[in-house]
Amino acid sequence: MSPLLQMRGIVRRFGDLCANDNIDLDVQPGEILGLLGENGSGKSTLMKVLFGMLRADSGSIAFKGKLLDGHTPAEAMAAGIAMIHQHFMLIDAMTVTENVMLGWPEAGRVLRTKEISSRVREASKRFGLYLDPDAQVGALPLGRRQRVEILKAILRNAELLILDEPTSNLAPAEVADLLVILRRLRAERKGIVFITHKLPEVLDVCDNVVVLRLGRVVGRAPVAGASRGQLAEMMIGRDVSAPREVDAAKPPGQARLALRDFSAPGLLPLTFEVRAGEILGVAGVDGNGQFELVESLSGLLPARGGVLELDGRDITRSTVAARMNLGLAYMPADRGQKALVKGMSIAENVMLRDSRRPPYARGPLLTPARAAAKTRALMADYDIRARGPDSIVARLSGGNQQKIVVARELDRGPAVLIAHQAAWGLDPGATRFVLDRMIALRDRGAAIVYVSSELEEVLAISDRVAVMAGGGFAGVMPRSALDMRQIGLWMAGRAA
Amino acid sequence: MSDAAPSLSFATFLQGRRIRLTPGGLFGRICVALLLSMVCAAVLIGLSGHNPFAAFAAIAQGAMGSEHQIGASLNRCTPYLLAGVGVALCFRAGVINIGAEGQIAIGGAGAAAAAFAFADAPPIVAVVAALLGGALAGAAWAGIATAIHLGRRVHEVLATLLLNFVALLLVQQLLAGPLGQFGAGFLQSPLMPRSAWLPRLAGFDAHPGFLIAILAAAAFSFVLWRTPFGFALRVAGSSRLAGAYAGFSLARLTWGAMLIAGALAGLAGGIEVLGVHRRLIEGFSLGFGFKAVTVALLGAIEPLAVTPAALFIGLLESGSLAMQRQIGVPSALITVIEGLTMLFVLAATAGRK
Repeated sequence: MSPLLQMRGIVRRFGDLCANDNIDLDVQPGEILGLLGENGSGKSTLMKVLFGMLRADSGSIAFKGKLLDGHTPAEAMAAGIAMIHQHFMLIDAMTVTENVMLGWPEAGRVLRTKEISSRVREASKRFGLYLDPDAQVGALPLGRRQRVEILKAILRNAELLILDEPTSNLAPAEVADLLVILRRLRAERKGIVFITHKLPEVLDVCDNVVVLRLGRVVGRAPVAGASRGQLAEMMIGRDVSAPREVDAAKPPGQARLALRDFSAPGLLPLTFEVRAGEILGVAGVDGNGQFELVESLSGLLPARGGVLELDGRDITRSTVAARMNLGLAYMPADRGQKALVKGMSIAENVMLRDSRRPPYARGPLLTPARAAAKTRALMADYDIRARGPDSIVARLSGGNQQKIVVARELDRGPAVLIAHQAAWGLDPGATRFVLDRMIALRDRGAAIVYVSSELEEVLAISDRVAVMAGGGFAGVMPRSALDMRQIGLWMAGRAA
Repeated sequence: MSDAAPSLSFATFLQGRRIRLTPGGLFGRICVALLLSMVCAAVLIGLSGHNPFAAFAAIAQGAMGSEHQIGASLNRCTPYLLAGVGVALCFRAGVINIGAEGQIAIGGAGAAAAAFAFADAPPIVAVVAALLGGALAGAAWAGIATAIHLGRRVHEVLATLLLNFVALLLVQQLLAGPLGQFGAGFLQSPLMPRSAWLPRLAGFDAHPGFLIAILAAAAFSFVLWRTPFGFALRVAGSSRLAGAYAGFSLARLTWGAMLIAGALAGLAGGIEVLGVHRRLIEGFSLGFGFKAVTVALLGAIEPLAVTPAALFIGLLESGSLAMQRQIGVPSALITVIEGLTMLFVLAATAGRK
């Protein structure tokens, strides 16, 4: 059987950094290949080279036996390669059919909407996509929008689909559906490259895996027979799949964060406490009130009613700045717009929320030299890889960006930390690092609310686990009495 | 007016960017844009049957040929620079203030009113009082726009832009009434009391306004880059969400930027009245506010860099009459050059992903 794709000896350098160092990669028709690797291991670079978004410095790419060289993304698409990005390239105001027709010569100069619409319906049925051709894309949930992208690829006769972290924005049920769709595509002899951090999905759906580390292939294996531990070990050179045992909760300390019938728009009245030295994990499918919870706790959304206390002080109506001064730290999920100013330097982002305090300012003036020194120290401490404090944040990898947020919020030595998707986009090694830092903070007597849609992370870190559904807590259970079945029921029970 | 539309996206693009003196950087690209616009202008002059080099020489001669002309040129630059610095500050903060036009006019009226009120005071007091009156009036006018914007959530472009027309009419009204010179034949105030006149530097026709403007540009550049307030402005301008998350009061920042911009524009109006015309004349500042927006963008909304931008525009305009007189190229061509410059700068800096 001749391979669908044959990449040989791909090398791509960025300055001193060798992002792809002599990489070989084959994909057979009807194969799902898992491409694994930590943040910055070279997966995205390799796929960009394949798709013609970057030039390789050397190496060759053969697709269906024909050499691709110096190709553009348009030529890659015409050859039968489709790339499905993490962020969808769809127009919300248009229907599914219109999005499919967009930029597609076959739609005709005078749009053949009816014909395309019926082809959409047909393909949707054949691959189990359940898409209504006339539905407006903006009204579809994320999982469905992704299927529109897949549908576009199918209708354009793509034979190789590249999915870049396709599950990172999906709810568990949507992930399961996606995996079903991928199997169908495999049955139709399409080749698929599946880029992900998530090992369970790899084990579930992939035929083979290729693992990259620091720009080189460090492992290739058939998935059948491989275990999670082995894969993780290949990825970062050590086994991290087993969550470190969290010490049993110490004797409960003082309540540091207390809510009494606290509510906000989109958030049902909640009553709970988080004590000193305790981590309350909040699990649940995204969009069930988690955003409203963390934003109203941090003061960015106004509370509607009830009382919120920090160390016994009523902060229900306090400003964001006042809460921060009392020791409330917050890591928002929206990294690009809220937690960071991407066009600014690392140093400026480190001082984002403390710009009036030493060492960033003295009296009415900023002190850039001290801020740079402080930033350098944090960069070393948190392993933020960049040229220096003046590097622009937008140029850093997602993992390094997130570490800036983590470093900034933890460095203040907060009394209470609200973390929302704090390990989003981090590879297992970096995730572990962040979780360990938070556990250390807890051990110093802070109270932490850790909100994430990754159940595994929540379970790895929490002393108590709450599940959010329908804008409220479906239930709370201590770590000592963990009951996975019950958590599943809570998540599903009132999930949106 | 025509300057307002492209400025919106351009300003968003520039927010948070620092100027670096590298050929590939913002500064280099703006220089290339200036060069290209001059080349285009040369071609246009050539097409109209004149020697472009002679025309440029005439402009340079007219703008800087004598002490008198240098002074007149600097006076011309002053309101552009002062108001441009304020506009730049607002744009950095993400507030698109198109209201300098009205703020300058009201500032002129405020300065005139204060000058009459302090007519008997000693010169230093009278000048300071009159300039303060201008700044306060300009700030108050910007304050009205801010209150409408923040209080009623009217977009700041609308609030500031529309108040310009109100301001111009209000100044007319004042000149037809309390501030007007009875029987003058057209709308102007009596001559300012001599004590409130800005002195002129000996030998030059320059008033000290340009020095004030340069000081203001330097001071607000420092504020922008070296103080927590400036940092807050830049953060809020780059991302409202990040600004709120950082704990800044966005309303307070908007007030701060707008009041500073209003005061600077008002000061510009006051200097124009006390230093150039020595009376308040209807339409004395027509177009200055919109030119300030151009200048701010040309200077990459960086207060210090606004200085050469203001000089460029001011000198061009100041030399244009000489060009018309000496070689017959219509001075309106300068407007074309300004427009071309704006286009090239937009293309050179905003065209990158």
